[in-house]
Amino acid sequence: MISLRRNKKSVLFASVVTSVALAASVVPANAETGVSSSEIKLGITVPMTGIAAPGYNKVAPAMKAYFDYLNANGGIYGRKVNLIIKDDRYIPQEAINKTNELILKDRVFALVGQLGTANNLAIASKVRLGSRKIPSIGVLTGFSGFADKKKYPTTFMSFPSYAAEGRIIGTYINENLASKTVCLVSQNDDFGTDAAKGFTAAGVKFAEHVKYVSGTQSSATAQVWIGKLVAAKCEVVVLMTVSSATAPVLAVANAAGYKPQWILGSVGSDTTTLKLSLAPAGIPAAQAAALFNGAIGLSFAPDPSDTADEYVKLFREVNANYNKGVEFDNNVAIGMNYALVVAQALRAAGTSPTRAKLIKAMETKGSTFASIGYSPMGWTATSHAGHSAFWFGKFNLAGELKPLDAARTLYTTDNNATQPVTKTTAKRAALPAKGIPTNS
Amino acid sequence: MHNLSTKKVFALFVIFGWILLIVADRVDELRVYQGATIAITTLAIASIIILTGYSGQVSLGHGAFLAIGAYAAALSQTYWQSPFWFTLLMSVIVTSLIGFILGFAAGRLSGPYLAGTTLALAVGLPTLANQFTFLGGETGLVYDAGNPPARFGEDFTLYKWFFWISAFVVLIAMFLIRNLLHSRYGRTWKALRANPTAAQLCGINVAQSKILAFTISAGAAGLSGALLGMISIVAPSAFPLSLSFTLITGAVLAGVTSLAGSMLGAVILVVIPEIAEVISTSLGESEKVISNLPGFIVSVLLILTVLFSPNGPAESIRKRREHHQKAKH
Repeated sequence: MISLRRNKKSVLFASVVTSVALAASVVPANAETGVSSSEIKLGITVPMTGIAAPGYNKVAPAMKAYFDYLNANGGIYGRKVNLIIKDDRYIPQEAINKTNELILKDRVFALVGQLGTANNLAIASKVRLGSRKIPSIGVLTGFSGFADKKKYPTTFMSFPSYAAEGRIIGTYINENLASKTVCLVSQNDDFGTDAAKGFTAAGVKFAEHVKYVSGTQSSATAQVWIGKLVAAKCEVVVLMTVSSATAPVLAVANAAGYKPQWILGSVGSDTTTLKLSLAPAGIPAAQAAALFNGAIGLSFAPDPSDTADEYVKLFREVNANYNKGVEFDNNVAIGMNYALVVAQALRAAGTSPTRAKLIKAMETKGSTFASIGYSPMGWTATSHAGHSAFWFGKFNLAGELKPLDAARTLYTTDNNATQPVTKTTAKRAALPAKGIPTNS
Repeated sequence: MHNLSTKKVFALFVIFGWILLIVADRVDELRVYQGATIAITTLAIASIIILTGYSGQVSLGHGAFLAIGAYAAALSQTYWQSPFWFTLLMSVIVTSLIGFILGFAAGRLSGPYLAGTTLALAVGLPTLANQFTFLGGETGLVYDAGNPPARFGEDFTLYKWFFWISAFVVLIAMFLIRNLLHSRYGRTWKALRANPTAAQLCGINVAQSKILAFTISAGAAGLSGALLGMISIVAPSAFPLSLSFTLITGAVLAGVTSLAGSMLGAVILVVIPEIAEVISTSLGESEKVISNLPGFIVSVLLILTVLFSPNGPAESIRKRREHHQKAKH
């Protein structure tokens, strides 16, 4: 029998241990969390390891590389930007834990470039960024709900919404591939649901809609999906998937001799990442490129191979000097671009930045910030939507997305995909000299 | 040695709770958040101690009961708009009921067969959320304890509120479990664990006792699951298989027969990631090291404990002291 004296001693011992653990640190209050006279501390959670790491693990280091470049050129009003990177393994629970660490332990000023729909939803609901007035700048997800300022008052989108992307692809299908049997593969979460909303708005009906649970994508599961697509005699297959799902789908289909017209959604179509994802399956880069050769894709920004573009050109230079040894691709371009956007937001918040000032600056000036997207971001006092327009292209054997038309026509709809798709002549802001913002 | 009366134990719990609240008021938010995690993990480990340490049944899938409790609480809040206290009650009722049903299987199974069955439950159960839309898929369900009452003031943070709720609920639960384990039920379970045949010869209904242990253990695990859902999310990713293993590790580290040790086990589990971070930072912050080191440390501790102190360090210290005292006499 357990002795109660021993039990009592154990309780006391455990009490002391708990109390000591809890009392380990007391942090004094600052004027504004994460801002000192010499530094602005920012935080990001991304999948640095795990199933979604290939490709996505390049985003945060690319952001850091741009901030290093910025710091070498004066920082933000003399303050260095310090980006703290945490690995969430693309798991919502981990994203909550790591975001809590960033806020409570590292005491960051703001979150930047938080990646993934499910992760950002989990963070928004449990870390309660809104009620705690903690800014989350340029979340790397296209979930349209994040534009809702009332629900997510401190969250600012970056990408065009998945709903808009769905409607734009749907309209393209209606106009160009209406006679074909069309099918869809999408992630079984708000990423897929949001895109499905857009397809429904466009009036597209899929002969087969394969939904997969995030984290289950593999060659084995892709074989099941391909089986369903073949059985439904799909002639056009839209992949609203992450790269780690796109890669096995293309590989398994190729092995099975199944060659539909692929339409790759913008999320999982970075060809460098696809090549990386296919390598473990024993598919060398040269063969991998052939898998997506001829696939239709769409993007809101220039292709990373477009060296004539001023943004791509600058980011390639920064990558070569501050992110050595890393192959330049969409992930690097996106990481650096949103670091550039954050830099402009920090400058717009003034010389004595507070979280409230930062949010106000993004709402009042955000739509004028320089960003790689061909259309401006939709940050206003009433909406926190990101970019809004896409162009269509076709992948070549080099893995480059080449515009379908020479004019690179931009197509747009509203963030919630309630409006019909139209062509737009939207213009983006010019890149600041040397990519160093001077705005206020 | 003499037993403390229930009143004295109750007074000890009240004093301890009071100390916790005072400490929580003087530390930063991170420690308060970790305090809530420690409280919740303590109850989860205690649920394993009831089952394994007392009744001798091995469960490798207790994370599944945490998931059931969390989903039961979240569903009752989402679809019935139940008040928060009622959702906690629902988590206990539903998991106890499922524990009761599983207890029948447990009555027929033992050792590796029972461990395998519970393991299968932990592997399969969270994925069900992706099959039924009302369970919220990968994103999960919203489960909210609400904001702290305005009368506590603006400085009363959300995490302090979580800590208060967790500490209060866990202290009550631990008090009830402690009393139960010191009642005839606790003695019956220990007899069952020591020698089922002898226990049966003494007139103990083995199957009934096993079912009861499973039911109560599941209920406690369900309650801790609901609290875990309160501070994190109610989604499959919150209840991975590794959660079950981590809880077992906590129980083994603390001494699987020591209820008070469950708190020590919980503290160790919460502190390990911090230690891992310090080590990985000194090793150059490799992401792979940072991600895998906590699991590695837990595994090493588990192996060392099983090799050198199979009943937990507290038990080893006690035995050594007794041996020392005998040698003196």
